[in-house]
Amino acid sequence: MKLKNFYTEQEPFILGTGFIVALLVLWESVPLWYTLPRGMTLFFTTPSKIAAAFYELLFNGEIEKHFYVSAVAFLAGLGLSIIVGLPVGLIIGRSPTLEAWLDPYVTAFNATPRIVLLPLLILWFGIGIWSKIMIVFAGAVFPLLINTYAGVKNVNRVLVDVVRSFGANEWQLMKIVVLPNSVPYIIAGLRLAIGRAILGVVVGEFFGSSQGLGYMIASAATNYKVDVVFVGVAIFMALSVILTLAVKQLESRLASWRPETAKTF
Amino acid sequence: MAPFIQAQNLTLAFRSKTRESVTAVQDFTLEVGRGEFVSIVGPSGCGKSTFLNILLGLIKPDSGEIHLNGTRITGPGQERAMVFQEFGLLPWRTVTANVELGLELKGIPPAQRTERATELIKLVGLKGFASHYPHELSGGMKQRVGLARALATEPEVLLMDEPFAALDAQTRDLMQMELLQIWEHTKKTVLFVTHSIEEAAYLSDRVIVMTARPGRTKDVLQIKLPRPRDYEMRLTPEFNEIKLRIWEVLREELTSRG
Amino acid sequence: MTAKGYFTEHRRLWLGLCSVFFVVSVWELVLTYIFPVNPFFFTKPSLIAAAFKEQIQGAKLWHDLAVSSRAFLWGFSFAVIVGIPVGLVMGWRRRVEYSLDPFLTALYASPLVALAPLFIIVFGVGVLGKAALVFLLSVFPFVFNAFAGVKSTDSLLINVIRSFGGSEKDLYLKVILPSTMPYIIAGARLAIGRGLVGIIVGEFYAASEGIGFAITQAGDTYRLPDMFVGIIILSLIAVVLTELMRKLEMTVAPWRASEEVR
Repeated sequence: MKLKNFYTEQEPFILGTGFIVALLVLWESVPLWYTLPRGMTLFFTTPSKIAAAFYELLFNGEIEKHFYVSAVAFLAGLGLSIIVGLPVGLIIGRSPTLEAWLDPYVTAFNATPRIVLLPLLILWFGIGIWSKIMIVFAGAVFPLLINTYAGVKNVNRVLVDVVRSFGANEWQLMKIVVLPNSVPYIIAGLRLAIGRAILGVVVGEFFGSSQGLGYMIASAATNYKVDVVFVGVAIFMALSVILTLAVKQLESRLASWRPETAKTF
Repeated sequence: MAPFIQAQNLTLAFRSKTRESVTAVQDFTLEVGRGEFVSIVGPSGCGKSTFLNILLGLIKPDSGEIHLNGTRITGPGQERAMVFQEFGLLPWRTVTANVELGLELKGIPPAQRTERATELIKLVGLKGFASHYPHELSGGMKQRVGLARALATEPEVLLMDEPFAALDAQTRDLMQMELLQIWEHTKKTVLFVTHSIEEAAYLSDRVIVMTARPGRTKDVLQIKLPRPRDYEMRLTPEFNEIKLRIWEVLREELTSRG
Repeated sequence: MTAKGYFTEHRRLWLGLCSVFFVVSVWELVLTYIFPVNPFFFTKPSLIAAAFKEQIQGAKLWHDLAVSSRAFLWGFSFAVIVGIPVGLVMGWRRRVEYSLDPFLTALYASPLVALAPLFIIVFGVGVLGKAALVFLLSVFPFVFNAFAGVKSTDSLLINVIRSFGGSEKDLYLKVILPSTMPYIIAGARLAIGRGLVGIIVGEFYAASEGIGFAITQAGDTYRLPDMFVGIIILSLIAVVLTELMRKLEMTVAPWRASEEVR
């Protein structure tokens, strides 16, 4: 009886992890029951081999070295996008004229995959870390800017009237109503920006790089070291998941007063 | 005695997105004495809320003047405070922090602010909820916070824009009685906008009936009922007389628009 | 409608156009009369326009677009065919949701582009590799949006149909599908963006034709005007497709369009 109750309670967790475990086991066992055509063996790897490669790279310091480079590009680009995106979003939100002026560029840039600018950025900034920082910035700044702007625009009219009726000036309005109201939107924007930033690091390091996790993946692929490729992919996956969860935690804490959280899609 | 609040020939038109101009109030004239409780009733869209906003100083009339105690009103001021129908509480602030809002904007130091806020929280019957957040409160409680906040800056005039419309009937009755108690206690001048004739008659010294849009004063009725007013008064024939009279004036405006 | 009236109503559009016109003019003037253009770093609108004209009249641009479109459409179509049903089933059957959700969410949150080099090496630089990459990237918005759409179906409406004796088919056609449509269209909008990333990265990485390749090639040979043409064309396509999706969303959906973009 108790076992059944336990199962019903934990069912999502059990089925979810179960599925992943089953997939991994299936993957691992493929060589046992399926003979790959000769050409394919070069491209095939298994979870255990990936784990082994991971430990090897961890212990000879390779991962650390590449991780550091990628981390710098990621943080610098993300930091820059926060510094630029937030204030611009705030200002645009309060000024409809400015919004109309900047709208075409924001729409165009936002719809276009920023990756398309990579060759141009490499031309301008070289193949060093700066082109990576810039592509991260280009990707991450827009969700932040757009969400900050949305947060400012969607401030409840009644609240603005309330605070104005007590004689607040524009600056006080910002501080007391607009900014706090925008926080949930900004955090959601941050969550999106992080995803875009990681994308920027990955793709930026594919091209013309000699360092970084993206480079590690690309060079491993060229050398048919498929297990190393998956190590790199797995690291990025883990980072994405961890960071996204962290921001979601932040979101729920800072936005607990909202009856309806900002949309996730 | 010169009227405390005097509005003369106020006219205000709104330009809507379809570029049709809508005149909210036209030549609206009104006088209120100090310490009076005056209600404004009228058909939907007659401009009563607009008038309150002009009085509050958030909107400027196209023409006409409005004076408070001899001084012209040109913007928001500490002597006037509003209680909003949708409460308008800052959801990320506690009850205390919300009540303190006006004081904060006036530059009152924190210790004094909290002291005053605590006093008012007690006055409106929310003792014990000072650290709660708006989303944890019921509608009636939220409006009490709204009232406390409006009273915090010690305004001379309290503007109330259908403050109880969003509450259920029982809470509404309760809040009306509490409002009267607080009013007797604090002696403010109150302008109260409502759709409910019963509410207007129960609470006020005078009831102003506005015409349909563009709004102007159609009639002013004196409510000659003794104070303090208890709930039983609402069941008396005199009260029903009064209600009927207001209704008859109002009905013309309601049906004239079809 | 007077001219002034027209202007005030479409104010945003006008200001936007003025802004673009202004920036382009300043750009051209500054680089013609004030700073000389270093052709290895920068270019100006007149040169870009000339390159534009040349490319449109030539054959290479259209060929490149055709190649890229083919790969994109293959990958995208499969994403639709696979993604939507999976999402629907996930929304409809709890157990499926429990099993697939953690796995798919982890994948959705990860930069799957990281697999691009592997895909290219395994599948080669032709249509297959690029289409596979496009599929991988664009399938997830469909899955999750279809899922969200089904879950958001108002159970009250389901009860209404049932109470009138409706069958399972009626439920699907009259309630679930219409309810899910807006979400799926929103998913399509997101998927387009992600799919475009796939095609571009695929072509950057190792290709011999396609619009992405054209951009890198122009960059490698320092033909900046041609590069800008490629970027602008891609940008135009992206904007047109995305805006089309938004319009579609707004006609189909009563709720306000999402302010956020993935």
